[in-house]
Amino acid sequence: MKNKGILTRRGFIKMAGIACGYAVLGYNVTREACAATADFVGIRQSSVYAADSKRYAIRKSQDNPMIKKLYAKNGFLNEGPCGHKSHHLLHTEYEDRSASLKALKAKGVKLAL
Amino acid sequence: MPESKAKDSVATPAYLSNLTPPQKGERVEMEGVYYKIAAPKDVDPASIYFVQVDKDKCVGCGECTSHCPTGAIQEMHADGQRGIVDSAVCVNCGQCLENCPFGAISEEVSFVGELFEKLRDPNTVVVSMPAPAVRYGLGECFGMDTGTYVGGKMHAALRRLGFGLIWDNEYTADVTIMEEGTELLERVKHGKKPLPQFTSCCPGWVKFAETFYPDLNGHLSTCKSPIGMLGPLAKTYGAEQAKIDGKNIYTVSIMPCIAKKFEGLRPEMNASGYRDIDATINTRELAWMIKKAGIDFVSLPEEDPDPVLGLSTGAATIFGTSGGVMEAALRLAYEVLSGDTLTNPDIKVVRAHEGIKTADIPVPNFGTVKVAVASGLQNAAKLCDEVRAGKSPYHFIEVMTCPGGCVNGGGQPLEPGIREASLFRSTIAKINRRFTQRRPA
Repeated sequence: MKNKGILTRRGFIKMAGIACGYAVLGYNVTREACAATADFVGIRQSSVYAADSKRYAIRKSQDNPMIKKLYAKNGFLNEGPCGHKSHHLLHTEYEDRSASLKALKAKGVKLAL
Repeated sequence: MPESKAKDSVATPAYLSNLTPPQKGERVEMEGVYYKIAAPKDVDPASIYFVQVDKDKCVGCGECTSHCPTGAIQEMHADGQRGIVDSAVCVNCGQCLENCPFGAISEEVSFVGELFEKLRDPNTVVVSMPAPAVRYGLGECFGMDTGTYVGGKMHAALRRLGFGLIWDNEYTADVTIMEEGTELLERVKHGKKPLPQFTSCCPGWVKFAETFYPDLNGHLSTCKSPIGMLGPLAKTYGAEQAKIDGKNIYTVSIMPCIAKKFEGLRPEMNASGYRDIDATINTRELAWMIKKAGIDFVSLPEEDPDPVLGLSTGAATIFGTSGGVMEAALRLAYEVLSGDTLTNPDIKVVRAHEGIKTADIPVPNFGTVKVAVASGLQNAAKLCDEVRAGKSPYHFIEVMTCPGGCVNGGGQPLEPGIREASLFRSTIAKINRRFTQRRPA
């Protein structure tokens, strides 16, 4: 009788193939999972708050000297916030854009809302 | 305190004379995203597709669809490739583009060609107006860690690019707080306009509200966004302070956002007597321009913006994150309503990462201010439905289209993890597609 090992040549190749498959799958799943947990948005957000508390000497808009200058008695917006000049330059009105939406829905287009 | 016209003191950078700017209609890849060089003038922005899907690159994985707040990006072709249904329902947020693993979504409007021409023009003073969130993303394009603050280097780079006046959109974030805060106080005290008041800083949200909730337009703050304020201020007040003619000023809005390109083209944005915003670019385009100019960004010194329309506060910089506008506004409202000084400006309860955050803020001598913060438009829609039903208990609601806020905007550098996994995902997508094709529909 031939000395049969635990693993035949064919069996070994099969096993190796399956193992490789799992390894590739595992590697990719782990990488995707890692990418998902590395919270890029959260890191950027905490960087913003760190700058707010550490980098900026002034932390309230009303304390900004250039804001005080803008709204001063002899300043550019001397009527204060929401004055006439403010309304002309800094405020706006909004448009009703729902007509295009209605037209699309009439055509049978399905949207999320 | 008049500002010196910085363009005189710095000689025209050498690169500008021997650089060939990209031509109109050309397609250029910038930081992994394709852009079409086009600078629309006097066009209704609602008719423009700001993002578009490249049919040949799309594998139909559907990742974009799951990130679209309105359902504007859908299956449009037989092989499952996506496309934008209609420019009218796309809010131009660019979350589809940010999350596409295959780089199949491109931007259709890029002002960089025209901007290079203006930087070269000796008769034009090009004014920079960078948004808060740009300084938390730009460094990533130069190999720096995620979220590194590069505000000082950004100002230095803009100066070297040939911008004549380095003004900063953070300054008008402070102006926005003064205007929007005052408006809120008027609504609370006099009740002439309805409560709750919605923020109006986010152009994706504003277009969404105009399209899907036009009946709530009266609830939207009438304040323009910070960039909508800096445009006209630069060409009037700024021109006066810097002693230059408003007509020679070319204002460049630098944003972490694609929807701001829509906002800059809105026809009503001409309060200064000129176009208030001449060009809008985003973080990726700025990074590309810096690289094209051969500027070594990482070794630049930290520089300050030109003060009059540049100096800003912590309240302004947090506009870049979800909950930031709310927190900044509360820092003002608290002091005005109570008459006291706010000793600790951290109001952590309104800081939002995702979803809806609500808070009751006790204010001495006044009572309770009720606020809500929505991150993402699906969440905003829930709050809008409440307002529509007359059941909303809030005074003030902040909405940002992109989950997490502008730091995650559609114009920010791409998250590397999304593209890294693309080889595996594309194989799976191809297998799935074959499988579905074999079966009759």
